[in-house]
Amino acid sequence: MQRMPPHGAGVRFWLVRIVPVLACLCGIVAWAQDYQKDVAPFLQKYCTECHDQESAKGHLDLDSIKDDTRMFKDQRMWRDVLNQVVAGEMPPAKKKVRPSQGEIEQLQANIRRLLGRAIAGAKVDPGSVTIRRLNRVEYNNTIRDLCYLEGNFAADFPADDTGYGFDNIGDVLSFSPIHLERFIAVGEQVAAKAMPSQPPELDGTGLAMIEMLPRGRREEQQRYFDPTPSLTGSMEAPRDGEYIVSVSLRSTGTTGDPLAQVAVVVDGVEAGKYVFKSIRKSEVVEVKVPLKQGRHEFTLKWLNPPANITGNKRSLSGLRLRLLGPTDTRTEMQRRLAVLVGDKKGELRARLIANWFVSRAFRRPATPAELQRYVKAFTAAEQAAGSWEAGAQAMIRLVLSSPKFIFRAEQDEKPTATEPHPISEFALASRLSYFLWGSMPDEELFNLAYAGKLSTNLAAQARRMLQDARSQFLVQGFALQWLQLRQLSIVSPDPKMYESFNETLRTAMSKETEFFLAEIVREDRSVLEIIDANFTYVNRPLAEFYGLNYPAQDAARRREEGGFRRVTLPPGERGGVLTQASILTATSNPDRTSPVKRGKWILEQILGTPPPPAPAEVPSLEGQHALHGTLRERMEQHRKDPACASCHTRMDAIGFALERFDGIGRARTMDEGKPIDTSGKLPDGRKFAGAAELKQILKADKERFVANLTAKLLTYGLGRGVEYYDGPAIDRITAEALKGEPRFSTLVLGVVLSDPFRLRRGTSQVESVSEMPKKK
Amino acid sequence: MKTDTLSRRTILKGMGVALSLPWLEAMGLQTSWAAGNTPVKQAAPNRMAFLYVPNGVNMDGWRGGINLKADAPLPSKLPPILQPLNNVRASISLLTGLAADKARSHGDGGGDHARAMSAFLTGAQPRKTDGANIRSGVSADQIAAARLGDRTRLASLEVGTEASKLAGGCDSGYSCIYQSNMSWRSATQPMPKEVNPKMIFERLFGSGTDLERVRRDAQRKSVLDAVRDDFRELNVRLGADDQRKLDEYFTAVRELELRIQKTATGNQPKLPANILAPKGIPESYAEHLRQLADLVVLAFQTDTTRVSTFVMANEGSNRAYPFINVREGHHNLSHHGNDTQKLAKIQDINLFHTAQLAYFLEKLQSVKEGDGTLLDHSMIVYGSGNGDGNRHNHDDLPILLAGRGCGTIRPGRHIAYEQQTPLNNLWVSLLNRMDIRDVQFGDSTGELKKLA
Repeated sequence: MQRMPPHGAGVRFWLVRIVPVLACLCGIVAWAQDYQKDVAPFLQKYCTECHDQESAKGHLDLDSIKDDTRMFKDQRMWRDVLNQVVAGEMPPAKKKVRPSQGEIEQLQANIRRLLGRAIAGAKVDPGSVTIRRLNRVEYNNTIRDLCYLEGNFAADFPADDTGYGFDNIGDVLSFSPIHLERFIAVGEQVAAKAMPSQPPELDGTGLAMIEMLPRGRREEQQRYFDPTPSLTGSMEAPRDGEYIVSVSLRSTGTTGDPLAQVAVVVDGVEAGKYVFKSIRKSEVVEVKVPLKQGRHEFTLKWLNPPANITGNKRSLSGLRLRLLGPTDTRTEMQRRLAVLVGDKKGELRARLIANWFVSRAFRRPATPAELQRYVKAFTAAEQAAGSWEAGAQAMIRLVLSSPKFIFRAEQDEKPTATEPHPISEFALASRLSYFLWGSMPDEELFNLAYAGKLSTNLAAQARRMLQDARSQFLVQGFALQWLQLRQLSIVSPDPKMYESFNETLRTAMSKETEFFLAEIVREDRSVLEIIDANFTYVNRPLAEFYGLNYPAQDAARRREEGGFRRVTLPPGERGGVLTQASILTATSNPDRTSPVKRGKWILEQILGTPPPPAPAEVPSLEGQHALHGTLRERMEQHRKDPACASCHTRMDAIGFALERFDGIGRARTMDEGKPIDTSGKLPDGRKFAGAAELKQILKADKERFVANLTAKLLTYGLGRGVEYYDGPAIDRITAEALKGEPRFSTLVLGVVLSDPFRLRRGTSQVESVSEMPKKK
Repeated sequence: MKTDTLSRRTILKGMGVALSLPWLEAMGLQTSWAAGNTPVKQAAPNRMAFLYVPNGVNMDGWRGGINLKADAPLPSKLPPILQPLNNVRASISLLTGLAADKARSHGDGGGDHARAMSAFLTGAQPRKTDGANIRSGVSADQIAAARLGDRTRLASLEVGTEASKLAGGCDSGYSCIYQSNMSWRSATQPMPKEVNPKMIFERLFGSGTDLERVRRDAQRKSVLDAVRDDFRELNVRLGADDQRKLDEYFTAVRELELRIQKTATGNQPKLPANILAPKGIPESYAEHLRQLADLVVLAFQTDTTRVSTFVMANEGSNRAYPFINVREGHHNLSHHGNDTQKLAKIQDINLFHTAQLAYFLEKLQSVKEGDGTLLDHSMIVYGSGNGDGNRHNHDDLPILLAGRGCGTIRPGRHIAYEQQTPLNNLWVSLLNRMDIRDVQFGDSTGELKKLA
């Protein structure tokens, strides 16, 4: 634990600059005294028997600490110490000499005071963020916003590794030859799709004439206009635009007969007429018509049939009515380029397009050198293929393979500044957009960054972005990873034991949590509702699974997706993510529940106080002894092992509170033929009878929960692990949020406005490896 | 080229209606080395592949009936878990006493699964971090790839059934990167494995016609040329960590350029006739493993690469094996506490995996090459960085060596090494047999004796 602070020189330098030398020296002396007076005695009395240099249990040596000079760097350690003492976990239960409640409170106050002083005196260190490769989802989202194409383009990229629980951590996002191959190959596809050099064929849908109304027509030789000379049916227009109604009809008759005339009627209005050119021939009837997206009614009318149609030599026959279009087959990219370019030609056109595209792809203005190169490539391809579309396509292909697109690099505008300073406006725009949307900045962000006004409008922009539909990505990108819900996609509940579990249910479980969290984000609800809420979302299978009534309509009358409707939950244990089938299943073993996994999950993901890993080479939970009885009894026997007890007491108690939900989250009252006992007691003495009371206890711990959620948001937002120097920011955001109901937006705004999010290190802040004390 | 060989185009044309692998005997029984393709008659090259299974094995089932004290020919009745290998028994040796010391905690606390995987081929202690400053060591396969990579179109091939772990926390404070990656190009850069047989096939043999490939390669060449300027400009102003990431990008650029160059100069694989391209990731785990095995065989057979790693499941995998009636998660079971039922189930899982190994080895053996078979010209290692899953011990590891390494290995035996002999010594010895001499890496102390 005791190591030389590598930043010693930097800290001294700063102290000398900011604080008069004398005061500084006195300060340090006084601090050492405070520590010796206020903290050390407690430790000597209750802790250092085990936590001294010699035994250093849990690799913690408190005896060697003589003053509070490392308090800032070791703040997590101090918080852990405090948490464990306050929670009654330390000193361990077997120790006879125990601190009184008064002593504990005094220690808490003293450590907090010293910590507060250390934090207040610490220099702002925004940390450093490693250049980040776009991960797979960010790639898809970015392509959507950059090239106006939807699709899972990154499907064949190697899976992204995770660090700190998230898949957007710069240090962990590696880049291998396979990555480059895939980025180039997919970049080619995207370029060709966004900027096709050949106009694509019209989309089309069709309707067999035999299916058209009225029924009861002649069917021989497809003479469907017999006896009624009019056919009606409906077809769907996929989007607004101009369409072609097309049908190939064969006319028969004898010389001298009148030429057949046909009208196409759309939604009751005649769209066009066609007069045949010959009496005996197949001809294609085509009528152009503007349509709104949606279903439309099409009627095909033979305008001049003979009086007695049936059996007449004069006839019309056909097979299929087709709806082709929209006739404007330009891609969205082509349409935007048309507006951008106007009537410009040649190199000017290439320059306009390159500037527009490169600046958006690199998420900052293109440099003259870049422009020159990309215009050159554009023009060369344009000349080779004889079309400017080919030029644009070639340029897009290159840009999408460039490291400047693939990586989010934040170039330092003041590389020689010694002190922390703001990241560039454009870097800020990207940090914001990838944090809140998982994608590139939009026009408004770019415009503000160009004007140099983003940093002064940060809060307003963050609020606007949270209101935007794209912020739903916070659920998929952030929340599901925070809750480790991706685990749900790989667990394999034993089909024998859980017959009702199937893929439909697996998807529905995950969707429930997504919809639930989406409401918290969208409606900006209190984050405490994540722990406990009186509503959720179910589709029909899930409602049956839970034994809930599937409501006739969505309670909030929102537009429902996938049959998911909002329901108000009856009073009981269900409510909040802890009791959702998704989490309960993801934290179970294939063949039974795992109170340990559930307890660990709550400690880790909800409270942010993960239990230390099991000691090396001691088998995890199950069965190094022959155990017997109910699961609870077996685990109690197991816990007798003192090596396990200190952590498992808390972890298991919490996990057992959820035992009335089986391995896929179904409610139950019996397990292995015996009634289930969900009561428990935490080491600090607080008791609970089951899930509902446990949730109350967790909500009472809201400071820890909110601090933890803040730390996770910061990790995700920055793409790096949280370090000791982020402590002040997390404290500040937490305190601010807890002034009222801790709304989701308060936390997000807190992160966005924090020093680590807005600033970068100066040169006096040496780049170095993690300063966290080595985790043991 | 022999006249009866189907052209690439014909083969690929058939792919639209193709079934999945395996291609069985249709794949032709000779490698490009024996088919008279080489202008000068050359001896077949040596290959190496490393297959990894997670969570250790049931050690009694792995080597029951073997006298652990003595070197001896394998007994007529193989230990239970090795019995699926009976058909290739003359080509395998059981190695005991080897240790992956760097998988031990050495003061880093829990995390045996993360360390077992990342130390297996590197012999290096992974740095305990959840993300910042990832560090392991260069792995044996990548040492070979770096030295021999220029002789084949792909320097190495990394495959596996499971992509990197998708979900959150991994093993006790270690980033998931450690327990999903066996192959490390440098101490800081893992080589992600490819899990989709279809993508592997296209990587090995490309897709489309020759003409399309030529056009595509030309286009890619121009892309690679173009991105160099962006790379150079970007690199100038970034910090050390950023530059390290960008180096990965640049290395990839160079490697791809080389590959395109090699393809252009005619050094491209001759795909055996009637190969059916795989279509995607099979639903069945067994089928997935077999397709990957087929692809590694094919890569060796066509001399597309000589080095491969094959992760049968990520370390710590909690996959259930319901198709062999094992419904519990593998990792949970591996903490068996000497419960006989659990041990039996672990053995069932181990047996399932050795049966897949048998498929792979038999396939290698079925391919004739020069004076022997592809298996004779290979060195295949199968094992785990954990011994007994219950103890998480990293010594006395389950290690199997197959193949004759072009006559440099004498298989069919149990070879007992002194306990705690570094596993890396085996890697050094295998690298020597690939003509990579004077290597010392990780915790190796020298060569492993008695292999010949």
